[in-house]
Amino acid sequence: MSGKSNKLSPYLFISPALLLFAFVVLIPVLMTFVFSFYDWNGIGQMKFTGFDNYIRAFQDRIYINSYGHTLIYIVATVVVEVLVGLGLAGLITMGRKGSGIFRLAFFVPVMLPMIVVSYLWKFVYNSDFGLINILLEKIGLESWTRVWLGNPDTALYAICIVSGWVYAGFYMTIFYSGIQRISKEVYESAYLDGAGEGQIFFKIKVPMIRNLVETGVMLCVLTGFQSFDLFYVMTNGGPYNSTEIVTTYLVKVVFTHMSIGYGSALAVIMTIVIAVIGLIAGRLNKKDSGVLEY
Amino acid sequence: MTTTVLDIKKDAYSGGEAANRRPFSHILYYLFMIFISCFYFYPILWLILSSFRENREIFSAPFALPEQVNLQNWSKAWTVGNMSTYASNSVIVTSATVAGILLFSSLAAFAFSKLRFRGSGFLMLMFVFGLFMPLQSFFIAQSYIFEQLNLKDSYMGLILPYIGTGLPLAIFLLKAYLDSVPKELLEAARMDGCNDWVMYSRIILPLLVPNMATVGIFSALNAWNELLLAMLYIQNDALKTIPVGLLAFSSRYMTDYKLLFSALAIITLPMIVVYLFFHRYIVAGLTEGALK
Repeated sequence: MSGKSNKLSPYLFISPALLLFAFVVLIPVLMTFVFSFYDWNGIGQMKFTGFDNYIRAFQDRIYINSYGHTLIYIVATVVVEVLVGLGLAGLITMGRKGSGIFRLAFFVPVMLPMIVVSYLWKFVYNSDFGLINILLEKIGLESWTRVWLGNPDTALYAICIVSGWVYAGFYMTIFYSGIQRISKEVYESAYLDGAGEGQIFFKIKVPMIRNLVETGVMLCVLTGFQSFDLFYVMTNGGPYNSTEIVTTYLVKVVFTHMSIGYGSALAVIMTIVIAVIGLIAGRLNKKDSGVLEY
Repeated sequence: MTTTVLDIKKDAYSGGEAANRRPFSHILYYLFMIFISCFYFYPILWLILSSFRENREIFSAPFALPEQVNLQNWSKAWTVGNMSTYASNSVIVTSATVAGILLFSSLAAFAFSKLRFRGSGFLMLMFVFGLFMPLQSFFIAQSYIFEQLNLKDSYMGLILPYIGTGLPLAIFLLKAYLDSVPKELLEAARMDGCNDWVMYSRIILPLLVPNMATVGIFSALNAWNELLLAMLYIQNDALKTIPVGLLAFSSRYMTDYKLLFSALAIITLPMIVVYLFFHRYIVAGLTEGALK
């Protein structure tokens, strides 16, 4: 090295990114942590209350239940996004003509803004003119019609289906690119041994892209906690809190009830839960296999 | 002998020929795929058809073609819905965000990957931490800070957090790519007397262009679609982006379904057109952004 590299210059290169990141993320994270020990409505006096907000959080039925709903949502999305995506990837890699078009088509919903998707499906589920009820009436299953989003028994699952509609194509695309990398010789010898498409799917395609599937599941879990738009527009937690997830409840607590301190405690708990899940997932991945390369 | 068998099988796999061997499964395959396609496209098609209808038609004949293609709904939705304002706000916020992310992340990725300095490991860890940190972990305090600094109800109030939250993934992806660029290239440049800035602008930046396109695409889509912060920080109707604008629109015209359908269609169609033209890059951008 000739002495041209200035000691200070690396810091100059990272400082715009670092300062901005600190300003909008790191400092707010720390401040949220501090807020969580106060009773405060955002304007008036801050009153230090120690762990009161946390104690209150663990006694808050709606909050505890919102984790249950998030969990149901995550499990459902693993099925309707990752597993369905895997199935679709299997279907479009069977080497039939025209499967490229299906691959492009199933990705389209990913492109739509979540808010558009939410309104669209709110209409699809509408009890008066929605597609689903009308379809059920047309094929003579009138007894099956429901107020899908207004019924606490169906609302959460109805939202999960929408999530699948959006993201199954996304996971399909990821798995597709993995399957494309399996060398053709592997299939050929399987064909010679007389394997059917089903066997090829379960014995070759799926095991060969296991890493991608695991990543997909992890992505589902981590993003599951962050989903907000879909729930906010479709039900905003209702009916009777049956679709209240952690994020919608948080926004409600802070911006409707103006409880900044309590909301901050809820946010800190959520952050810790996500961090723990992330750490566990990272461990599992590391133990399993070396590289997680896509 | 063996080679011919192999060839036949290969043909059978690579498509086309399979049909002749098992026509039944072939038909079944396409029927099934078309069924799934209906599930995917009927809602979108229904949305666009309904946007041409009158309200009573929406209720009475949802499966029929509209009586006439009535583009009045669209133009009315566009004007009464303030859509041109929302669209131009979204364009301004999104382009500023993408420009900021690309500039700051390429600078930082260069330093993290190619320069040695004290604390680089720790600082990189901060950004990795940011990869997993959901918005909801910090928006309460962020909202408070922005309130104090008068950043709410301004473009900056959205652009700054969009850049800040987009940076970790962008830096991570660009650094991963730069790590694979051989050291010798830069050492040679250093021998020739290049300083860090010249190396960045003359060597690194041109190398990074394809990767920056990927990063740009998912950053743009994220900013374009973001709802929560836009909803919390922007009250002034003249500054709203498309997602919040749509929210405001729907509360004003709650039961005027033809207008709502039209507004949704106006937002949806350009996205699909853009996708049809650039699908290769978009698909690569989104899947890579999510997975790396």
